[in-house]
Amino acid sequence: MDSLTPTQRDRGLQRLRRLTFGATAGGLIALVGVGYAAAASYAGKASSTGATAATTTTTTGTTTATPAATTSPSAASSTTSSGGLQSATQAPTTGSSGSGTVTSGGS
Amino acid sequence: MALAVKSWTALGSSAHVLTTLEDRLEPATAAVRRVLLDVDAAYSRFRKDSELTSLNASAGRTIPVSPLLATAIEAALRAARLTNGAVDPTIGRAIRVVGYDDDFSRISGPHPTLARERGREVKLRAEVVPGWQAIRLNQRSRTVWLPAGVELDLGSTGKALAADLAAAAALAAAGAGGVLVSLGGDIATAGVPPIGGWRILIAEDSQASPSGDGDVICVPAGGVATSSTTVRRWSRGGELLHHIIDPKTSLPTSGPFRTVTVVAATCLDANTASTAAIVHGEAAIEWLCSWHLPARLVENDGTIHYIGQWPDPSSVAA
Repeated sequence: MDSLTPTQRDRGLQRLRRLTFGATAGGLIALVGVGYAAAASYAGKASSTGATAATTTTTTGTTTATPAATTSPSAASSTTSSGGLQSATQAPTTGSSGSGTVTSGGS
Repeated sequence: MALAVKSWTALGSSAHVLTTLEDRLEPATAAVRRVLLDVDAAYSRFRKDSELTSLNASAGRTIPVSPLLATAIEAALRAARLTNGAVDPTIGRAIRVVGYDDDFSRISGPHPTLARERGREVKLRAEVVPGWQAIRLNQRSRTVWLPAGVELDLGSTGKALAADLAAAAALAAAGAGGVLVSLGGDIATAGVPPIGGWRILIAEDSQASPSGDGDVICVPAGGVATSSTTVRRWSRGGELLHHIIDPKTSLPTSGPFRTVTVVAATCLDANTASTAAIVHGEAAIEWLCSWHLPARLVENDGTIHYIGQWPDPSSVAA
């Protein structure tokens, strides 16, 4: 086999570097592309706990996006927030029966 | 200040709308009626054509639901989580099996026996409650998945949520002043209250006359709910039963408290706490104190406990 001249060897090495660089860059681009396609096609499935917790951030968007509903649940966004049970802003006081009294009892 | 009042029957119990401005009663009432019609169509357990009935019949499949039903299920799941499962919407099958399978207005008598078991022996059965964690609610796609065999009952939180939604809708329709909505004793308020606050008589039965004897409190804002084992009672297999199910036993609760009333920021939170307190039994007082909620608890022997910032009944201020 004939031995390579220094010039031929340098050209061969340069070609090899170009091929290596091209393959690496192409692989990275392909990796990003496949990852993006996978994320877009399968958004994931939350567990029941996760889904419940996520409602705090999604309730408003969901209700405003559905104007067809006669009853807008947007008013309930605070009542169904993921926070704990909330006290009233003012404590009740003792009263006496009179006009406009309503009954709270079991039903 | 004279309050305007409108009362009628809805959702199997009484509905009351009060407004501080007399000329705003009509639009407020119309708004409440619309909300209740939507609620009934969305999550009544006793309507064959309700969305909830359809969902319960579709267990095992992912089903798209309306915004209102999604909100109601979300509220029920939140209540279950905050009460460590004491208020669990998956009791649907358990409560049906113990006999509460029809609108109570269609059953007469103080402790009625269900019509289909009159004249024959029926044994009381209990159905294991699957647990709220089994429900998958996806708010983004607005879909629900129930495991096969699971039936939801949104009765506990559903009525309270309806009161909150109705009060908000009534205030929006009224445009000014304040409104109070009471659905079977579950009370929600919105807007500017009357001077001194809304007067509320605390009773074991929501059908009790507001002019009757008992503790009266004045509530400036928020919601009030009472849960009681003394109402909606029936007999099955010789056992006297009621409608508050303990998810741990799948049977009506048997704790020391028969009636609990709670005041909270919303009717939903008040109802969640009052129902959970009945289920928690002996641990109820400690549990309520941990949430800093004003509460009134009646033991089975009639002894009354006042918790948190519940007002001293011996000092009448209004």
